[in-house]
Amino acid sequence: MSKNNDSRHDEHRPDVGLYVKVFLALMVLTLITVAISKIHLPRPQAIALGLFVALIKASLVGALFMHLWGENKLIHKALFITVGFGAVLILPIIDFVMVSRRITSPADVAAQHPGGHGGHAEAVSESVKLDAPAVPAKGH
Amino acid sequence: MSQTYNPTAFMNNADTHSGVTNAKLGVWLFLASEIMLFATLFTSYIVLRMASSSWPWGWDVLNVPLATLNTVILITSSVTIVMAYAKAYDKDKAGFQKWMAATILLSLGFLVVKAFEYGAEFKLGIGPHTSVFYAIYFTMTGLHGIHILGGIAVNAGLLYMSSVTEHWENPLFLGRVEGAGLYWHFVDIVWIFLFPALYLL
Repeated sequence: MSKNNDSRHDEHRPDVGLYVKVFLALMVLTLITVAISKIHLPRPQAIALGLFVALIKASLVGALFMHLWGENKLIHKALFITVGFGAVLILPIIDFVMVSRRITSPADVAAQHPGGHGGHAEAVSESVKLDAPAVPAKGH
Repeated sequence: MSQTYNPTAFMNNADTHSGVTNAKLGVWLFLASEIMLFATLFTSYIVLRMASSSWPWGWDVLNVPLATLNTVILITSSVTIVMAYAKAYDKDKAGFQKWMAATILLSLGFLVVKAFEYGAEFKLGIGPHTSVFYAIYFTMTGLHGIHILGGIAVNAGLLYMSSVTEHWENPLFLGRVEGAGLYWHFVDIVWIFLFPALYLL
């Protein structure tokens, strides 16, 4: 009979103590995520820090709850290929948007047309605006 | 030496020459496709946000306390489903049913909280048509909510199957619980990124 006929041959032995520790770590990290947004850091730093904490949380869930830590290499390869293709999809698009934003920013347009008046820069800047969110503020 | 043909071999976790059962490999490949789906949505979110002339703070326009509560609920449900797996591994049927029922209740709790949140927004006349921000907010949280519904259906199915001796004693049952757990943890991971991206940053 096949060496893999045992139904538990690729199932992971649970470690309840570890699961409880991961749970507590995830709760603390959730509080940290909320706290980061409350201290009103400059937006780029807040985003970088917030996503960094989210990445740690996702890694904990993936590695220890989904048992990716110690998982078969075939699964690792499949995920690696997925992430690679995801990066191929995402990175050029993000770069395109960043480049578009730079070359159409009022400061950049003004630098390209030093003799011109500010109206041109404003017009170009206005033309790249997407829908500004019309959001009624709510008190919580 | 020739191999004996066995058309039902897959039912016995047949050797896949990789050490991974077909079922588990199938679940991971499905999750890989899900990663691509949500990656495209997150890319859309990033592109729209970066190209927009203004973007609201989540604190100003969304209900952060309710979303924080939902984060706690979802993380807790990730623990309860992994506990259900641990009990299934130990062949403790009552323990499995207790933890799986807790997972389903928490999942329903998540949807109830989300319904309150959506309800308050709809009452104010806010919908996907309101702005780009709300369009991406409703798309991403709505798709995530549909995934929660799918998870509830699978988990409820496993809870029912555990009450049928034939299914509970099936050597494949543990693998099914593990597959359902993998899916549920993936749904949790998506929320882990959605929460700060939409509500906090």
